[in-house]
Amino acid sequence: MNEDERKILALRFVVVALIFFALAGIEGILMRLRILNLLTDLFDERHFYSMMTAHPFVGIYGWAYMAVMGAFYFLVPYVLKRDIYSKRASYASFWLMISGLAIIWTTTFVTHYAPLYTLYWPIPVAVELAGWNPAAIFSFGVGVALVLAAVLVFFFNMFATIFLPARVEMNGGEKVGAGYVFKELMLTAFNLDKLWAKVRGIPHYTARVFNYPVFVVSVFRGCVDTTLNALVIGGVGVLLALFGAAHLFSGSSLSYSLIDPLVYKNVFWWGLDLIADGNVLIFTAGTWYLLVPLLLNRQLYGESVVRTVILADLVVSLFVWNHHMLADTPQPLVLQIQGQIFTWGELITMGLTMFAVLATIWRARPVKYSAPLKFVLVSITGYAIGGLAGIIQANYASNRFFHNTQWVIGIHGHIQLLVGLSLTIFAAIYALFPLLTGKALNEKLADAHLLLMGVGGVVMGLAMGLAGTQGMLRRTLYPMGLGIYEPYMGVALIGALMMAAGFAVFIINVVRTVGLGSLVKLFLPQK
Amino acid sequence: MLVSLISHLAMYPQFVIEVIYFGIISVIVAFIVAFYILTQRGGREVEADGGHEGRAGMEKGERNWMLFLFSVALIGNILFLSPILPSARNALYEPKPATTITIYVKNYSFQLPETPIIIPANTPVEFVVISEDLVYGFGIFRKDGSMVFQMQVVPKPYVNRIVWVFEEPGAYDIRSTEYSGPQHPWMFVPDAIIVEGGKS
Repeated sequence: MNEDERKILALRFVVVALIFFALAGIEGILMRLRILNLLTDLFDERHFYSMMTAHPFVGIYGWAYMAVMGAFYFLVPYVLKRDIYSKRASYASFWLMISGLAIIWTTTFVTHYAPLYTLYWPIPVAVELAGWNPAAIFSFGVGVALVLAAVLVFFFNMFATIFLPARVEMNGGEKVGAGYVFKELMLTAFNLDKLWAKVRGIPHYTARVFNYPVFVVSVFRGCVDTTLNALVIGGVGVLLALFGAAHLFSGSSLSYSLIDPLVYKNVFWWGLDLIADGNVLIFTAGTWYLLVPLLLNRQLYGESVVRTVILADLVVSLFVWNHHMLADTPQPLVLQIQGQIFTWGELITMGLTMFAVLATIWRARPVKYSAPLKFVLVSITGYAIGGLAGIIQANYASNRFFHNTQWVIGIHGHIQLLVGLSLTIFAAIYALFPLLTGKALNEKLADAHLLLMGVGGVVMGLAMGLAGTQGMLRRTLYPMGLGIYEPYMGVALIGALMMAAGFAVFIINVVRTVGLGSLVKLFLPQK
Repeated sequence: MLVSLISHLAMYPQFVIEVIYFGIISVIVAFIVAFYILTQRGGREVEADGGHEGRAGMEKGERNWMLFLFSVALIGNILFLSPILPSARNALYEPKPATTITIYVKNYSFQLPETPIIIPANTPVEFVVISEDLVYGFGIFRKDGSMVFQMQVVPKPYVNRIVWVFEEPGAYDIRSTEYSGPQHPWMFVPDAIIVEGGKS
């Protein structure tokens, strides 16, 4: 692929990601109205929960992953000054992701299948009890497996792009296989080469990780987390497809007891939480590490330390899943305490990340803030607000009254995802837009976008969080009335509408800069 | 008066945490606003490729910041594992229960041993909750909607248990705190528990 082809690839990913973002936002506002016991004639509980099932898949995989994939397909070759490993794999990940999400969305919309993203065993296969359609279980499982297959194809393409070329050059152009990529990844991602050098007594050995820019280090270390996540969640998709197919063909369910619900929950959360660490924390950190020095035209503060911090983040991420299981009393206490202690480790790694970024900005004074830099600053604020709430709820004692409340999904989940992660993605879009299209977006509209999305996201998240401390649960409708929670949900709706307005301003900015026709032409065969 | 206030707040630890949390994030937001204003002004010239950027290891400021973060993590862990919070007192430093209440959950319904369940105040009570089919939640709420405690209910063969000491007399509701299917919102038993005696 030449650079122009990579630009088109990146833009296609980003445009589709934005469509998914809009879809997730519409779902969010509809659900918010339904929580307020409005639109009850339009959709019942079953329909509400099927929407809640699709919402995180569309939001996380459709929006965040597709935007990240598009950006990395352009940025990794750009930074390393080399081509992407496989064009075919790039487009395979594009279509697999869209197909998988379309299947998930259609299944939940048509059949009202609603196991939620948590998929706690045996809820997703409880045909008789929950009244699921076996065909829906099969179809949903296939959709999930396709989405995660897209993610795996993308990561292999990234790993191969990063690790193969040097070897191919060494071998005089001779191709080497996936085994080599895997070995190189393990050695570099976990600094095992350095360890091996120490064992062999090699003095003054420089770890291979120093051959790569910090941004690329974040990409492959984050991809380790998200690959493991894809294997686990994709595996759950395959499992559901098998249960659904077995029911369709035999007419009766396989026994739930084939799978232990607590062991399943441990494996599931171990895998699921790795999205939070890989995609939400490490990829975000990598994007800050790339954008801030580029925008300020200076080196990142403490580059060598930052590489170690990313490694620490990767290691910590493998041991934090227990903070999702602090309310499971059959879980061994030692695991729960371990989960709590490791989760506090994320305060240290994320704190050091923010320090490096802010120190880089501070040392560049006087700074002229461009749109992407403002977005980065607000996204850091979002991470601080959301991350702190996460640290508070992830303690054995406090989890007794925070678990599954609106605090978790409001302050921690949505502020971290919408103000932290999403504003980082928008920062990258504003920074890359001139590179990809040759035109810059309007700065005043960008300011309005930032203000509406940043303030709206914080207002919505904090209102939800306050309802959470009052006892309002997430994933729960209150058909008998919201009572004291109602004003909080009203304010949260205002925050959500502010975010929607911010997104509309962004779309207007894009359309008036490049024109609607250019966006449509992007998806036509290129000359 | 002060003891009474502290004792009251201890029963609503989420509100105390909420106030502390809002205090901290106010400082964070104020810091970022100040940072935004100050960084637009002229500063001491630092060479683009010199200083800490080009060297390995940590600078003094970075090291101090890391030590601060470690200290916060250490103090946070100690505080949350200490018996300050009632949930830690009851769960981590579990008192010997005076009575056990066993509740079964099946087909989206709580099966209580009696309705309402009468519990004496200031007495350790063990709740054993067993699910016959799906994953559920078991939460006890005050009449004002605030949560006293909750736990997940992992289905058989697992037994879910928690010991609690109620200090406030009055009626309490039971609600499932975990989604288990579209019938989940209806898993609500008002006035399921009456706590008698103790201080009001």
